Amino acid sequence: MGYSIAEEKIFNSGHAACPGCSEALAIRYIVNTLGRDTIAVVPPSCIAIISGPQPYSSMRIPVYQTTLESSAASAAGIKRALKAKGNDHTKVVVIAGDGGTYDIGFQALSSAAERNEDFIYVCLDNEGYMNTGAQKSSSTPYLAYTTSTPSGKPTPKKNLAEIMAAHGIPYVATATTGYPDDLARKVARARELKGMRFILVLTPCLDGWGLADNAGPKTSRLAVESGIFPLYEVEDGVRYTLNYGSKGIPVGAYFSQQSRFKHLAQAQLDEIQTMVDVNWRRLQTKF
Amino acid sequence: MSQVNREVPPIWTTGWTDVLNTGTWRSAIPVHRKRPSPCRSACPVEGEIPVWVQLAREERHREAWLTLALNNPMPAVTGRICHHPCEGECNRGRYDGAVSINALEQFLGDLALEQGWTLPEPQTGPEQRVAGLEQRVAVIGGGPAGLSCAYQLRLRGYRVTVFEARPELGGVLRYGIPRYRLPEAVLAGEIRRLLALGIEVSLNRQVTAADLKELEEEYAAVFLAIGAGKAKLLPQFPAGDARVFDGLNFLDAVNTGSSPRLGRQVVVIGGGSVAMDAARSARRLGSQVKVLALESKGSLPAQADEVREALEEGVLLYDGAMVQEIGGEGERLSLACCKVVLDTGAPQGVLRPVALPGTGFALEADNIILAIGQDPDLSGWDEKLGRDKELLAVDFRGMTSRRGVFAGGDAASYERYVSAAIGQGKKAAAGIAAFLSGEVWSEEPAITAGEVSFAEVNTFYFPVLPRQERETLPVEARLGNFAEVKGGYGRAEAQLQAERCFSCGQCLECDNCYYFCPDMAVVKDSSLAEHYRVLDQYCKGCGSCVEECPRGAVVLKEETR
Ligand SMILES: Cc1cc2nc3c(=O)[nH]c(=O)nc-3n(C[C@H](O)[C@H](O)[C@H](O)COP(=O)(O)OP(=O)(O)OC[C@H]3O[C@@H](n4cnc5c(N)ncnc54)[C@H](O)[C@@H]3O)c2cc1C
Ligand SMILES: Cc1ncc(C[n+]2csc(CCOP(=O)(O)OP(=O)(O)O)c2C)c(N)n1
Ligand code: SF4
Ligand code: SF4
Ligand code: SF4
Ligand SMILES: [Mg+2]
Repeated sequence: MGYSIAEEKIFNSGHAACPGCSEALAIRYIVNTLGRDTIAVVPPSCIAIISGPQPYSSMRIPVYQTTLESSAASAAGIKRALKAKGNDHTKVVVIAGDGGTYDIGFQALSSAAERNEDFIYVCLDNEGYMNTGAQKSSSTPYLAYTTSTPSGKPTPKKNLAEIMAAHGIPYVATATTGYPDDLARKVARARELKGMRFILVLTPCLDGWGLADNAGPKTSRLAVESGIFPLYEVEDGVRYTLNYGSKGIPVGAYFSQQSRFKHLAQAQLDEIQTMVDVNWRRLQTKF
Repeated sequence: MSQVNREVPPIWTTGWTDVLNTGTWRSAIPVHRKRPSPCRSACPVEGEIPVWVQLAREERHREAWLTLALNNPMPAVTGRICHHPCEGECNRGRYDGAVSINALEQFLGDLALEQGWTLPEPQTGPEQRVAGLEQRVAVIGGGPAGLSCAYQLRLRGYRVTVFEARPELGGVLRYGIPRYRLPEAVLAGEIRRLLALGIEVSLNRQVTAADLKELEEEYAAVFLAIGAGKAKLLPQFPAGDARVFDGLNFLDAVNTGSSPRLGRQVVVIGGGSVAMDAARSARRLGSQVKVLALESKGSLPAQADEVREALEEGVLLYDGAMVQEIGGEGERLSLACCKVVLDTGAPQGVLRPVALPGTGFALEADNIILAIGQDPDLSGWDEKLGRDKELLAVDFRGMTSRRGVFAGGDAASYERYVSAAIGQGKKAAAGIAAFLSGEVWSEEPAITAGEVSFAEVNTFYFPVLPRQERETLPVEARLGNFAEVKGGYGRAEAQLQAERCFSCGQCLECDNCYYFCPDMAVVKDSSLAEHYRVLDQYCKGCGSCVEECPRGAVVLKEETR
C-alpha cells in the first residue's frame, strides 16, 4: 500500500499555480525525477507562470522561456550546443501546454521528432488555452465548453499520442496526475533513453474545466477508468504496453465532475460514449 | 576607446519561490488527526478495531491480540458469540461487505489460547502503594461484567476479589450458552488466564444485600454484577407442571450434564437467543422442536446466524404467533395458538400482540420451554441501591445511589449482550478508579462525534475484495452432539480478511497526503505522533491531501484571519 517515488528536490514551494493545480503536481514529478542535471524549455503557458515571477524561479535548474511556436526547435538547439561542447550528460526537457504542442508549436515538434532529436518533450494537456482565459485548442474534447466554443466544440480531440507514435520515435507515453508513481516511472524511463521521447500528461484544469480544488487527481483517474484517456507506452512506434485502461466507468461519471460538459443532452452523452468505446477498442488491438 | 567593464549577472534568476508566502491564499488548512471509526463507536467495549486489525494484517499477531485484549480480556469468547454491532456500522459494508471483525477477533483469541500468551502485567510496585492502588475492591458475580471489571481494576493495580454463587465462574457463558456455540475449553482458558493476574476468587458464595455492610468495611468499593437470572413467566402456564421448563434452568441443566428427559414434541416459546439455544439444544437431545415467537421472522431478537442455523437443524418456526390457552388432560399438553401482529403504537421495548381473528391453530407438546426474557433478582438490593423498573439504577460512571457501590451487566441494563456486559464492567472499573482517587463527577460529558463516514473513504485505493464467512459444520454432523458449529479462520484467511479494513481515521503512513500536494506543503516528521506536518507558509488549502487520504485521517479546518 502507498506510493514510493524517489524525488530530488528541484521543484519549489511558493510557486504561483492555483490551489490544487494538476500542472504543478505534474511538474513536481517531472523535474524532481529528472534531477539537477537538466535544462528545461518552457513556452508561454501556465507552466511559464508556475516557473516563477522574475527574479524568482520555482525550479532549481536552468529554465529557458522560449516562444510558443518554437519549444522543440529551442530544445534541439540547446541539446546540440551542449553536445558540441562535449556535454553529453545534461538532459533537456520541454514542458509545454497543449496549445503550444498540438497547435502552435506543432511543426517544430513534428520536425524534431522526424529528425529524432535527443530530448524529452512533455506536454501538460489541460485541453485548452487556459492561461489566456480558456479558449479551445485542438486538444479540447468534442462538445466541451470553452470561452471560444460557447455552445461546445464541434470537432473531436486530436489524437496526439498516436500522431507522435506514428513518427516512430523511441518512446511515447501517456500519463496523468492521479497516478503519480506511473508518471514518475515514465519520466525515469524517458530519462534513460536517447533520441526523441514524448510524454503526454493529462492535467485537469480546475478553473477551466470547472472542478473543485481537491478534484484534480480524482478527475484524472475517472478519465482513465472511463476509457477516455488510457495510460500506455509505445516504443519505437510499434511496441505498445497498456498500464491503466478502461474499467467500464460511464463517461457521464467523468463529465459530472466538470462544468464544461454540463450542457450536454443524453443523446450527446450517448454519442460520446460510443466514440470513446470505439477508440478504446481500436487502441486495445495494439497491445 | 577605453574598455568598460560591466558586471553582468550570470543568470537572471536571483532566488527561489520558496521565499514567497502562498499560505495567505487559503481559508482552510488540513490537519492530520486520528479520528474514531464507526466500528469502534458501535463496539460496546470500544475496542481499537482499526488498530488491531491492521496489526493482524501485518501478521503482528501478538501485538494485535494485546491491543484487542486491552478492552476485552475474552476475545475468543466474544469472537464466537458477540452480536457484533461493529460490523453493522462498518464503512466497508457500504462497499463490498463489512470487514469480518468478529471472525478476526476469534482468530486472534484462539491463537492466543493456543500459544499461551499472557495478559499484560498489572501495575505493581511502591508507586502503586503511594497512589493508594493497593486498595481492595469486591466484585459480586463472576459473569462477563464482573470478570471484565475485575480485570480492568487489576490492570490498574487494585486488589480484587470476585464472589460467585455458583461452583464456577462464567455466569451465562458457562451455565447458559450451549457448548456448540461456546466450547468449555475456550471459556475455561480465557478465565484461567485472567485469574493468573492475581485476582482472588470466592466460589459457592452467594452474597446477599445483608452482607453489604460487612463488605463495605473490608473493601473500598463494590461492583455488583449479578446478571438477570430470574426467568419471566407467563400466566397461561400452569405453575409446578413438570412438563414445563424455563429456558435458563433447562440450559443450565444441559450445560452441567444433567439434561432432563424430553418427550418427542417440544415447543419453545420466545424469539431471542435463549429460545434459539433451548430449541437447538432440544434438537440435539433428539426431540422435534417448534418455536413460537411474537415477532416476525425478520425481526426476531435472536441473531440472524442463530435463527438460520436453527432452521437448518430442522427447528420449525411459528413466527408472528402466540399461545392463547393451554389444555390437555392426558399425557400431552395442547396449545391453542393464533397469529398476531404487534401493535406499532406500543411504547418502545414493549411487545403488545394483537390477535388476528380466524387464524387459530393448535400445537401438541410433551414439553414446553419458556424463554420469554429474564430479570435480575433484586430482592434486598433494590432497597439499598435504588432501582429503575426491573434494573438497578446507575449513573454514567456505573455508580448506584449508594456511594462506592457500582453495578453493571444484565442487572443494570437492558442491553443483554456479552460485549455490553464486558463494556459496562470496563466502564465501572474506570468509575471505581475515579471514585477511589477522589474524583467527583456530575454529568456525562458530551460525546465528541466526528466519526469517519463512508463518503470520506477514498475507495480508489481499495480494490474489491469479497468478505469470507467462517465455515459451519454440515447439518448432519451437528445433531446428536454438542460439537462447535462455527469454524474459524486459518492464518492466510485472517490475513486476507484483515486486508479489507479501510482503517478509518487511523493513519497508516501511506504518504498519499505527502505525494498529492502540488505545493510540497506536507512534510514527513517522524518526531510527531501524526508523522506529518503541514507547512503554514505554503499550503494553499486546496484539500487534495484530504481527498486523497484513503481513510479520512486528514481534515480541513477553517481558518479566519
Ligand atoms: C441462554 C443465553 C444465551 C445468550 N446468548 C448470547 C449471545 O449469543 N451473545 C450475546 O452477546 N449475549 C448472549 N446472551 C446474553 C449474555 O449472556 C448476558 O448479557 C451476559 O452474560 C451478562 O453478563 P453479566 O455478567 O451481567 O451476568 P451473568 O452472565 O448472568 O453473570 C452473573 C453472575 O453472577 C452470579 N451471581 C448472581 N447473584 C449472585 C449473588 N447474589 N452472589 C454471588 N454471585 C451471584 C451468577 O451466578 C453469575 O455467575 C445470552 C444469554 C442467555 C441467557
Ligand atoms: C504565437 C503566440 N500566440 C499567442 C500567444 C499568447 N499566449 C500565451 S500563453 C497562451 C496559451 C497557451 O495555451 P497552452 O499551451 O495550452 O498552455 P496553458 O496556458 O493551457 O497551460 C497563449 C495563446 C503567444 N504567447 N504566442
Ligand atoms: S473499514 Fe475497518 S476501520 Fe472502517 S469501519 Fe470497517 S472495520 Fe472499522
Ligand atoms: S494538498 Fe497541499 S496545498 Fe493542498 S490543502 Fe493539502 S497541504 Fe495544502
Ligand atoms: S494520506 Fe496516508 S499518510 Fe496521509 S494521513 Fe492519510 S493515511 Fe496517513
Ligand atoms: Mg493548455
